This record gives sequence, structure tokens and C-alpha cells, in this order.
Amino acid sequence: MEPFDEHPRGALHAYLDGELSLEGSLEVEAHLSTCAACRRELETYRALRRVLQQARAAAPEAETALVRVTRGVRARRRRAFAIGGLGAMAAAAALALFLLPRTGSDITHEVAAVHARALDSGRSVQLASSDPVAVGQWLSARLPDTVPATAGGDGFSLRGARVDSLDGRPVATVVYQVRSHLVDVFAWPSAERDMEPRPSVAGRWTVCRWSHRGVAYWMVSDAGTEDLKALAALIKERRT
Amino acid sequence: MDDDSREFERFARPHAAAALRLARTLVRNEADAQDVLQDSFLRAFRHFRGFSGESPRAWLLSIVRNVSFTLWRKRERDDPGEFEPTLDAEPDLAPSAEARLLEACDASEVHAALGRLPGLHREVLVLREMEECSYREIAEILGVPIGTVMSRLSRARAQLVRELVGDPRSKN
Repeated sequence: MEPFDEHPRGALHAYLDGELSLEGSLEVEAHLSTCAACRRELETYRALRRVLQQARAAAPEAETALVRVTRGVRARRRRAFAIGGLGAMAAAAALALFLLPRTGSDITHEVAAVHARALDSGRSVQLASSDPVAVGQWLSARLPDTVPATAGGDGFSLRGARVDSLDGRPVATVVYQVRSHLVDVFAWPSAERDMEPRPSVAGRWTVCRWSHRGVAYWMVSDAGTEDLKALAALIKERRT
Repeated sequence: MDDDSREFERFARPHAAAALRLARTLVRNEADAQDVLQDSFLRAFRHFRGFSGESPRAWLLSIVRNVSFTLWRKRERDDPGEFEPTLDAEPDLAPSAEARLLEACDASEVHAALGRLPGLHREVLVLREMEECSYREIAEILGVPIGTVMSRLSRARAQLVRELVGDPRSKN
């Protein structure tokens, strides 16, 4: 067999990695037997492998993250199943439930479900725009009551808008981004008294509601409570 | 109705740690790595029924890589050009007996040195040396030919050796 005329650059790595055929390995070994420089290089890379393997960190958090994701999937499905089940119930029972007043926590779940659906469908916005005027015009063309859109700032960027259905009514959804997190802000006209933003955690989502000058807001994201408070403050500030 | 999420857990669990390590290799902080991991699991869950390849690990890691890049592209303006290696450096052909010097490096030095490499070099080293992926798996994850894996790996190793023990030619 022909020994290498030159040093077997890539082949030396493939040899180290056990990626060569028998024939290729024998060629490299024939070269190594005559070339001290390549033997040293191989020894260096073997040592490098040992230090890299020793530096490999355990990552037990990864399994926790996996279980969080699959649990979230199951919880979402149970809720969807529960809602589907209602439809199949007798009309009288359904009507009785219908007449029960909605509580904050019902809306919390609905808000989270709308957000999760938008993310899952890969359509986080229907209109992609960072221009608050364009977002405002797009929303006012689709909803009877216009809701002011707010420009980004303080680490938040405006990403666009959707029209969603929430609590049985169409609502304006303005989408912001903070770092890698998308935040949905739902808003609709409301006679509620002004209410300070109150973030809370619902499963893997953080939600936050407040009322300000005739508009009720709900916000949902996988960002943290501090992020949501900061965005709520920004939106309030821009309205005054 | 929960079967597929449990099945996905079984499918992904053996590769979860590798996924997090790769995410940590590709993004700059732990919070981003956790975000990437969660997002990758979600995407993988939605599509794993259609998976028909040979290596679930390569498939999962390629998703982690895509999600990292999406995040990374968003940051590009802040941190331009960091991912591409400068095309220097054919490997130094005879890096003397550096083996002993290398063996003396501890884990924090190794991670610091990895952090100074371009992302394309970092990831190929982590995939090969820490996750022990085959060239074929790496090629699948990176979406490049096997020859590219080999040449990139050889440059990356040479560069990491230089980062850890210095350029032998610079020492008189």
C-alpha cells in the first residue's frame, strides 16, 4: 500500500475518530510509523479529547425541561377535552354552566390557551409590523372599537397584531417581544374601574391583567412577571 | 390521549442532556439556553411522529441548532459576525508534545477556551468530543457534507489547542 506523500491532515482526524475504513486506517498507521510530527499531533488531539470529555457537564435540568413541556401539552389537552365535553352534554346542563359568572381564573386559562394556540400554529401575528400607527389602523379596520397600540421601547419591541376571540367577544391582540419571549396583550373596551397590573403564574405561562381608562387588558407570555409588569407600565405610560 | 406525549418523553429523554449542552454551546447565557431547549422540545414534539430517520439524537440536535440560530439571528445586530470562523489557519502541523500541557487544563479553562472559538467550531467539537456523535450524525445535524465535518473538526481542534496551550510558534 502507498504511504502518504504528505501528512494525512483530515485523515488523521478521521483516524482518531474511528471514521476510516480498514484500508484507510492502515494507510494512516503506515504514515504514523514513519512520521514523528504526526504521532505527536495525534497524541495532542487524544489529550484534547480527554480534557473535553472531562469538562462535559452533567445537565439534569434538561429532563426537567422535557417533562415540563410534555406536562404542559397534557394539561392543555385536558382543558380542550373538558371544553369539548361540554358541547356534548345535555343542553340544560350546558345552559346552567353558561349562566355561571365567569371568574378571573377561567379567563386566565382562555388567555393562556389563545396564546399557546397562536404560538403552536406558527402564526403569532396576523399583521407583522413594528409601526404602532399601522397596527392601530389594521385593528380599527377589524374591530368596532379602536384600541391604541403602543410603540416598543425599554427592551420591548412591537411585533404586530391579531384579532382573537376572548370571553365571547372579538379582542385586539397586540404582540410584543422581549428577548426571545413573545407577549400577547389583549385589550377591549370595558366599564371596569382602573385596576393596577397584577401578574400571576398559570402553569408555564405568566399572565397579567389590568384596567386603565376604559380599557381592560390581559397579557400572557412565557416571560417572567417582572417583564410583564414593565410592559404594562410602558403601555400605561404611553397612554397618558 | 396522553400516549404520544409519554412516547415523546421516552423518545427525547436519552438525548435531553445533549440537547441542553448543545444549546449552551450555541447561545450565550443559561436563560437563553433554557428557552432554546423548551422551544426545541415543543417543536420536536409536534413533529416526532413524522420522524423516520436513523438517529433521533441527530434529529433532535438539529432542531436545537435551528432554534438557537433563530434566536441568534435576532441578536445578530448586537453581536455581529461571531458565529463564523475566520478562515485562518490550516491546522498547525506539528504541535509538539502539548499533550501534557493540555492534560493539566481544568474544566473551567476548557469551557472558557471553547467560548472564545467561533460557534461553528464550538459546536462541532462539542458534538464530536462530548456527545460522541459520528461524522454522519454531525453532518445531518449541521446539514453539511461529511468532508466538511472532517475539515471543520480539524481546524476546530487545532484552534482549541492554540487557545489552551498557546501557539507553539509564539513561544521562543
